[in-house]
Amino acid sequence: MSIKNNKRYLPEGKYVMMGNVAMSEGALAAGLNFFGGYPITPSTEVIEHLTKRLPEVGGSCIQMEDELASINAVIGASLAGVKAMTATSGPGLSLMVETISMAANLEIPFVLCDVQRVGPGSHGPVTSPHHNDLGLIRFAGHGEFQVIALAPMNCQELFELTITAFNFAETYRCPVFIISDAYLGHLHEPVYIPPKEQIIKKVIKRELPQDYTKFFSYKDDMTGQYVIPKTPIAGTEYFPPTSLHLPHNYAGLPTSNSLEFMEMLIEKIISNIDKISITEEYRLEDAEIIIIAYGLPVRACYRAVDIAREQGIKVGIFRLVTVWPFPDKKVKEVIKNAKAIIVPELNYTGFIAEQVERVKKLEIPIVKIPKVGEFHHPEEILNVIKEVSK
Amino acid sequence: MSGLGPRYPTEKPDHPYVQHSFGGFLFGSYNSLFCAGCGYGIIGHLFTRVFEDDKLDPLSFPLIIGIGCYTQLVTLAHHNSQKIFALHGRAPAIATGIKLANPKLKPIIFTGDGDSLGIGGNHFIHICRRNVDCVILIFNNSIYGMTGGQGAPTTLYGSKSTTSTYKTFENRSDAVKLALAAGASYIARITVAHPRTLMKYFRKALNHKGTSIIEVITPCLTYFGSKNLDSLGAEYLGIQGSKMDTGGKMIDWIKRNCVRKNQARFMDDEELFNRYIIGEFRYDASKPEYSEEYAKIQKRSMEED
Repeated sequence: MSIKNNKRYLPEGKYVMMGNVAMSEGALAAGLNFFGGYPITPSTEVIEHLTKRLPEVGGSCIQMEDELASINAVIGASLAGVKAMTATSGPGLSLMVETISMAANLEIPFVLCDVQRVGPGSHGPVTSPHHNDLGLIRFAGHGEFQVIALAPMNCQELFELTITAFNFAETYRCPVFIISDAYLGHLHEPVYIPPKEQIIKKVIKRELPQDYTKFFSYKDDMTGQYVIPKTPIAGTEYFPPTSLHLPHNYAGLPTSNSLEFMEMLIEKIISNIDKISITEEYRLEDAEIIIIAYGLPVRACYRAVDIAREQGIKVGIFRLVTVWPFPDKKVKEVIKNAKAIIVPELNYTGFIAEQVERVKKLEIPIVKIPKVGEFHHPEEILNVIKEVSK
Repeated sequence: MSGLGPRYPTEKPDHPYVQHSFGGFLFGSYNSLFCAGCGYGIIGHLFTRVFEDDKLDPLSFPLIIGIGCYTQLVTLAHHNSQKIFALHGRAPAIATGIKLANPKLKPIIFTGDGDSLGIGGNHFIHICRRNVDCVILIFNNSIYGMTGGQGAPTTLYGSKSTTSTYKTFENRSDAVKLALAAGASYIARITVAHPRTLMKYFRKALNHKGTSIIEVITPCLTYFGSKNLDSLGAEYLGIQGSKMDTGGKMIDWIKRNCVRKNQARFMDDEELFNRYIIGEFRYDASKPEYSEEYAKIQKRSMEED
């Protein structure tokens, strides 16, 4: 699509957009100023769109020599004080994990859009969806840290959740993933772009703080809360003396207490899980059968649940918008009175089914509906609902 | 600073530049973590000296440091420099990101022979090709020092390392030739035995707009010198070498093994085998620089409707 506009924000209105383009526009609205990428189907439209749009808003977009370089350029740009992101697919993500792990440890914020495709190799039906990177995303690298991953289900959400993703990255200073897939990325749908003022109000800016002595997150001994300072900016006075690849304290100086450092990296996310985890409930009031889903399969579930409800089956949907960190407490609360749980996922392993298994009571059965390379048909989900309700 | 050990204050030296080093200024510890006979001390000192003498603002020159022994140069580098530790070989990519995000900054990259020509070879080629404004200092000690003396892409023919116990028979890679082919706009090679020329080249690189590559030949006594004879590079003469077991002997060997560029023109391949040609190989101020070109693209696309 061609957007004749030299401003960061599109004029208010409805547009028909491809998923990857909607995601890119969301990123621009969130204040994106740097994109470093390497073409990989099905995420290529992101770099193609941003290479045209970013210079228009004074940002830069560069096609690097490989994924290793693109994620490192993103880290560099983020250190230089701009909002940066990259987009890739499974094989590219595998190359990037080295740097993701470093960025998480040094608390360098960035956003990564993973447009997943059928794995595992480099050939094959690369334009089919497969939610196969969820496990990799959760522990994306060596070392211990937590990431945030958001799973949109339509183009409108790709636009909105990308803004949320940038805000999370700025607030929590951790890698933030947008879990898209080949179908969602290539889907053309109407997207409503809200007025500029509304978007600006939502966006958290990259700014210099008041206090120039604390550069990294730490636990406040008085309150027991985790304090996450603003991201240091290279070329200003607000930058740590060294950015060490080893346990360090808030001033950036080495500390011998590795355990405390690891605790900080993980707890700064987990202790804020109520603010991070976004979930949606659909007809859950009296539901006995609960569908837990995320991403594209949710759309098939809505239809299946509506039909099942007409037939008097008490079924509802609990949708995970934030997939990682997994909202243990919320899920526990929702499945308290459930008789059965259905987890439709676009993969065979059932990454979320595993998590539900972990938090549920022993006697509730979990039914997985695995699917690879194609959509769930509402009929299939309906059949499972009927079978479970017997 | 890579080590976690305590840093004890040492006596303050009279030296005017060491006092501005990071370790000395912040911790009052004026020592370094390098082995006796290492050349990195010279490089760290010269780096600080150029910034102090020229009254440069270290904040506009973020220091991006790769992985190797030279990572510990942070303790010797200027205390005000902003030090960013890169992953092994990825420093050029980080520099590209920084330069594009904030074109006012000019990154300086500390990298080694294994870092830039081994694991980061691809990134090195592409930063040269783009001519991103930055200074790349390649410290070539022809060995992997930090991991304990393994063979590097630059290890000289016939020399021994822990992963080539009998002899190295691979062709060595030449950073200067690679950079010339890739298109960097300022390329020079010098050794730590020529500190004033090194400073001259470094100053020239700081004032040059474009990718500047300076390969610095530096001795590694502990792992390279102790295993090899000083006949390396003089095989064609058939002389019996003696062990390089002191820093002085290594510096001697480096000086003997270097050939000035002008001199090298009159020497044949056999004579130049395993030797280092030093001098300036290219200075091209007219070559367009990446961030400047990108700024033109930005301007053009902003004006278009």
